[in-house]
Amino acid sequence: MSIVGKERIEVIAQSIGITNLSPDVALSLAPDVEYRLRDIMQESIKCMRHSRRTTLTADDVDSALSLRNVEPIYGFASGGPLRFKRALGHRDLFYIEDKDLDLKDVIEAPLPKAPLDTAVTCHWLAIEGVQPAIPENAPVDVISVPAEAKKNEQKDDNLPVDIKLPVKHVLSRELQLYFDKVTELTLTQSESVLFKEALVSLATDSGLHPLVPYFTCFIADELHQLMPSVVTCLVAKRLGSRLADNHWELRDFTANLVASICKRFGHVYSNLQSRLTKTLVNAFLDPKKALTQHYGAIQGLAALGPNVVRLLLLPNLEPYIRLLEPEMLLEKQRNEVKRHEAWRVYGSLLRAAGQCIYDRLKIFPTFPSSLPHAVLKTNARVLMSSPYKRKASLEQLEEQPPLKKTNTDGEVGVVLTNSSPSHKQGEAGTQASSVDSIIGSSSASEQMKNDTISNAVVRSNKVDTRSWKTSAALAQVWKDELNSGRILVSLFELFGEDILPFIQAPELYMFL
Amino acid sequence: MEEDEIAGYVTAYLKKKGFTQTEKIFQEEFQTNKTNSSPLEPDIAKHILSFSQLESGPARFHDGYSRLRSWTHCSLDLYKHELLRVLYPVFIHCFMDLVAKGHVQEARHFFNTFREDHEMMHLRDLQKLEGVLSPTHLEEMEFAHSLRQSKFNIKICEYSYELLLQHLHSTQSTTILGIINEHINFQVTPGQPSSIVDDPEAVTLSGSSQDAANQINQKEIHWGLLEDSLEERLEKASSLLSDSEKGEGEAKEGETEENKKRPVEGGKQGASIKKVKKDKGGSATGKNTKAEVNTVSAAPRVKPELPMPIIPSEVEQSILEDLRNRVQLSSVALPSVSFYTFLNTHNGLSCSSISHDGSLVAGGFSDSSLKVWDMAKLGEQTASSLSQDENDTSQNPQMGQSGGGKRQYTLFQGHSGPVYAASFSPVGEFILSSSADSTIRLWSTTYNANLVCYKGHNYPVWDVQFSPVGHYFASSSHDRTARIWSMERIQPLRIMAGHLSDVDCVQWHANCNYIATGSSDKTVRLWDVQSGECVRVFVGHRSMILSLAMSPDGRYMASGGEDGTIMMWDLSSGRCLTPLIGHTSCVWSLAFSCEGSVLASGSADCSVKLWDVNTSTKVSRAEEKSGNASRLRSLKTLPTKSTPVYALRFSRRNLLFAGGALAKNG
Repeated sequence: MSIVGKERIEVIAQSIGITNLSPDVALSLAPDVEYRLRDIMQESIKCMRHSRRTTLTADDVDSALSLRNVEPIYGFASGGPLRFKRALGHRDLFYIEDKDLDLKDVIEAPLPKAPLDTAVTCHWLAIEGVQPAIPENAPVDVISVPAEAKKNEQKDDNLPVDIKLPVKHVLSRELQLYFDKVTELTLTQSESVLFKEALVSLATDSGLHPLVPYFTCFIADELHQLMPSVVTCLVAKRLGSRLADNHWELRDFTANLVASICKRFGHVYSNLQSRLTKTLVNAFLDPKKALTQHYGAIQGLAALGPNVVRLLLLPNLEPYIRLLEPEMLLEKQRNEVKRHEAWRVYGSLLRAAGQCIYDRLKIFPTFPSSLPHAVLKTNARVLMSSPYKRKASLEQLEEQPPLKKTNTDGEVGVVLTNSSPSHKQGEAGTQASSVDSIIGSSSASEQMKNDTISNAVVRSNKVDTRSWKTSAALAQVWKDELNSGRILVSLFELFGEDILPFIQAPELYMFL
Repeated sequence: MEEDEIAGYVTAYLKKKGFTQTEKIFQEEFQTNKTNSSPLEPDIAKHILSFSQLESGPARFHDGYSRLRSWTHCSLDLYKHELLRVLYPVFIHCFMDLVAKGHVQEARHFFNTFREDHEMMHLRDLQKLEGVLSPTHLEEMEFAHSLRQSKFNIKICEYSYELLLQHLHSTQSTTILGIINEHINFQVTPGQPSSIVDDPEAVTLSGSSQDAANQINQKEIHWGLLEDSLEERLEKASSLLSDSEKGEGEAKEGETEENKKRPVEGGKQGASIKKVKKDKGGSATGKNTKAEVNTVSAAPRVKPELPMPIIPSEVEQSILEDLRNRVQLSSVALPSVSFYTFLNTHNGLSCSSISHDGSLVAGGFSDSSLKVWDMAKLGEQTASSLSQDENDTSQNPQMGQSGGGKRQYTLFQGHSGPVYAASFSPVGEFILSSSADSTIRLWSTTYNANLVCYKGHNYPVWDVQFSPVGHYFASSSHDRTARIWSMERIQPLRIMAGHLSDVDCVQWHANCNYIATGSSDKTVRLWDVQSGECVRVFVGHRSMILSLAMSPDGRYMASGGEDGTIMMWDLSSGRCLTPLIGHTSCVWSLAFSCEGSVLASGSADCSVKLWDVNTSTKVSRAEEKSGNASRLRSLKTLPTKSTPVYALRFSRRNLLFAGGALAKNG
C-alpha cells in the first residue's frame, strides 16, 4: 500500500550500518519517511513549474530540498535525464547505472565541444492572425474553417460548441501568386535564371507544401496537353509544308522524346505508356494510313524498347511486310517518293526488329552446349532464304531429332507459307542490283552483303552439322532459347540477311 | 424504557466523547428534573440508544461511506449530481478521522478503495492527502489543517437535502451524519436542483470559510482606470482634431466633453495633485453607450492612491506616437505575432520577458544569470557596443562581459540561484529579476549594471512585476506573501499575507491601486495596494495558478492554471465569467491586447491561442445580473514548432510578441 514500507526502512538501516534497528522504530519511521518524501516531491513540482518545465529534474529536487533547509543530494546534477535500468528479475526495481570510469581514459579523452551559446532568433508566428508558411513555423494547418462560417455558427446557437464544418482548402494570396508566377515561368521562359531560382525554391522551401497538389495537377495537365502534340510530330501524315523538309529526322527525334517522357513519368503516370502504344499500334496497323505515319509509329514503338517491339510489332510483322512489299518494288510502285517511303519504313522495321533480337540475344549467357541446336535451327532457315537451297533445308528439318520435331513442326507451316515473300524479296534485291538503277545504293550494297553472308552460312553449316548429336539432354536450355530462336528465325524469313548485322559477332558465330 | 437507563446511556456517550462539562450539566439537570420529567418519546430514546451503541471500530467509516456512496449512485438522476457533491467532503473527512484516531492501515485501505471516485475533480488534493500517515502529519500539514478547520459549502436544493437526511436517519449512519454536521455547510435553496454547469463552484473551500470569502468579495473596489492617463490624452487630442477637421457627430463630442474637462483642469500635474473625483459612476454610464472599440475609455476614472512618478515628456511623446499608430484588433482583425525563440538554452531557461516595445528580450536562467538581447541591435552587432560593454565590466565586477568574444547579449550576473522572473519597466530602462536566492535585483539596461538588491523575502521569489507606471513593483514568493516595493527603498512598502500556499504569480491592476496574486492554494486574490487588505478572493481553479492578466479597462482579469484552463473573472463581482478550455498543458503566460478585445495565452503545449474577449463581455453586460455568460470564443490557435511559450507581450501598437525556448525533442 504505502510506498515506503517497514522492510525498506530496515534495508536502508542495514545499508548504512545500523543492524539492530528495532521493528517498532522501523514501523513508525516508514510513514514519516513517506510523508517527507511526498512533501519534497510537492515542492519539487513547484520548482519545476517555476522553471517553466514539464519534466521534473534532479535540480528541482535539490531546490525543493534547499527550500526545506536540507542539504541537497550531490552527484545527480547532470543536465540530462537519468537513465534508469530495470533490475534483473524484478518487475519494479530500478537502478541508475553507475559505470566505473578509468581515470586515464577521462584524462586522455579529447575535450568535449563547447556547447553553443544561447541565442535568440525572431520570426513571424502570425501576420494578422495568419501563420506564414516559413520553415520556422510548424507545418501550417491549411485545412481550416473559414472565419465567417464559424461566426455564423456562433450566432446561431448559444451552446458553446465548436462544430467542425466541412473542410475547405484555403490558400493564402501569397501562395496563389507564387503558383501563378512559377507556372507562367515554366511555360514561357524556362531557360531564364529566374526560373532556375524558382526551381531551387520549389525544391527546398517547406512552406510551399500546400501547393503540392496544385503543382502535381499542373504537371499532369501540361503532360496531357504535351503528349498529343508530341505524338502528332511522330505519326502525322505530313510534317512541314514542303516535301523536301526532312521530316524523317523530326520523327526520329520525336520518337526518342516520347520514349524519354515515358521513361521519366511512366512510373507516376501509369497509363501514359499504354495509351501511347495504343495510339502508335493503331497507326501502324491501319493500312489506310500513309507510310510516313507507319514509319513514325514504328520508330516510336522501337524507341520504347525491345520488349514493346517484341510484343506489339513482331506479331504483326509478317502481314505488314506483305503489304509493304509491293510498295517497295519498282515495278509495282512507280512513284519514286512512295517507294522511297516504303524503303524507309522497311529500314525502320528492320532496325526495330534487329534491335529487339539483339537485345534478346544479349540476355542469354553464352552456352556452348546449346550451340548445335541454335545452329541447326538458324541454319535451316538461313538456307531457306536462298530459294535454291530450300529443298535441302526441308530435308534437314526432317533430320532433326524427334524431341524437337513437335516444336519445329509448327514452324514449318509458317516457314512454308512465308517463304514466298522472302523469296520475292530476294528476287527484288537481285533485280534491284541487276537493274542497277533508281533504288538507293544502300539496298544494293545490302544485297551484296547478303550474298557474302549466305555463302559463309553455307560453309559453316557443313562444319556445324557434325556436332548435332550432342544435343538431346539439354532440352531445357533449348526451350528458353527457343523463343528467341523462333523470333530470329521468323525475322530472318522476313528480312533475309538484313537482320544479321544486328546480331553481335559472338552470337553470330554461335548461330552460324 | 427506564429513564435511568437512558440517562446512563447519555452519560456514557458524553463521557466517551469527552464532553465533561456537558456531562456534569446533564447530571445536574437530570437530578433536578427527575421528579417532574415527562416520559421521553420512544424514537428519541431509540436515537440515544443508537448513539451509545456506536461501534468504535474503524470499519464504521468504511461501511458508512460505502453505504452513502451506493445510495447516492442509486438516487434519482435529477438530484444525483447534487448528492454526489456531498461524497467528497465526507470521503476526505472519513479518511482524516481514521488517521486522527490512529487507524493508519484502515485509513489507507479506505482511501485507496474510494479514491478513484474523486480523482477527476480533486486529483492534486488527493495526492497531498495521500501522504498523511499519522495524526501528527494532520497537525503539521497546512492543507489538512485548513480542511479540518473550515467547512465545505454545498449548494443543494431542498428536496435533495431532505432525501439525504432521510437516508442518513433511516440507515442510522451516525458516523456519517456526524461528519456531515461537523464539516459541511449546506446552503439549502428552495426549488429545483441547480444545473450541473455550476458544478465547479458547487463544492468550494477556501481557507477562511466561503462566508468569509463572500464577505471579502462584498467590499467595494474601484476598478476604473486612472484619470489623466495617456490614452485619455490621446483621445482628447484626436477628438479635438476630428472636431476641428470634420465637426464630427455631436454625440461623441458631448461624451468626450466631460471627459476632456477634467484632464484639462488637472493639466500635467494631474498625476501628482490628488484630485478628488466626484462622479465615478457618471462617466461610466455615459460612456457605456459608446462604440465598443474604445472599451478603454468606457471605464470610469479613479484617482491614484499612490504618488505617481512623472513621465518624462520625450517618453510620453513616443508613447503617444505608439498609441496613435495602434492597430485596432477585434475578432476579425487578429494581431500579428512576432516570436522570439531561444536556442541552445540546454534546458536552463526558466523565464523570459519582453519589453513593452519588443526591442529587448530578457531570459532568466537556472545558472543564476540574466541575459538581455537587444533585438534592434541584433542585426547590426556593432563592435563599438561590445567594447563599451567591456569598459563597464571593469567598473562593475558583477557584469559578466569579460568573456567578451562575439556575445550577442548582455549578461547580468549577481543572483545566486535560478532566476524565476524578470520584468521590464514600462520604458525599458530597468529590469527587475527575482531569484531562488530570495532576492530581487534591479538592473539598468543603459548602464548594464546592477543597481539595487532588494532583500525581504525569506524564500525563493517566484514572480516580480513592475507596475504599469513603473517605479513600483510587486513580488510574490514561496513564503506565502506578496510584497509591494518602490525602486527607491530597499524595504517593502506593503506585505500581503493571506494565501495558504506559495504565491506563484502577481499582476498589477491597470490603475495601480490593486494587485492580483495567484497561488498554489488554487485561489486568486486581489489586494488593495494602499491598505494591504485582501479585497477579492476568486475561487474556482482546480490547480495552481501560473499566470495572470488584467484587462486594460481594469474590469476583468484572466488567470491561467497548471492544468491548462484559463478563467476570466469580473473583478467587481468576483465571479468567474467563463472558463476557457483549450490548452492541454500549463498556461505560462497571458496578455490582453491594448484595447482589451483579444486575450492571448501561451502554453507549454507549444501554442499561442487567441481568445475573443468582446463576445463574453457583451453578453455579460446584458446578463450581468443573472450571472449567465457564454464561453469566450477561441479565435485562433497558433502552434509553434515545439517551442513552449514562456512570455507574451502586446506592444503599445498591438503587435504581439511571444517568447520561448526551443525544446529539442518535442
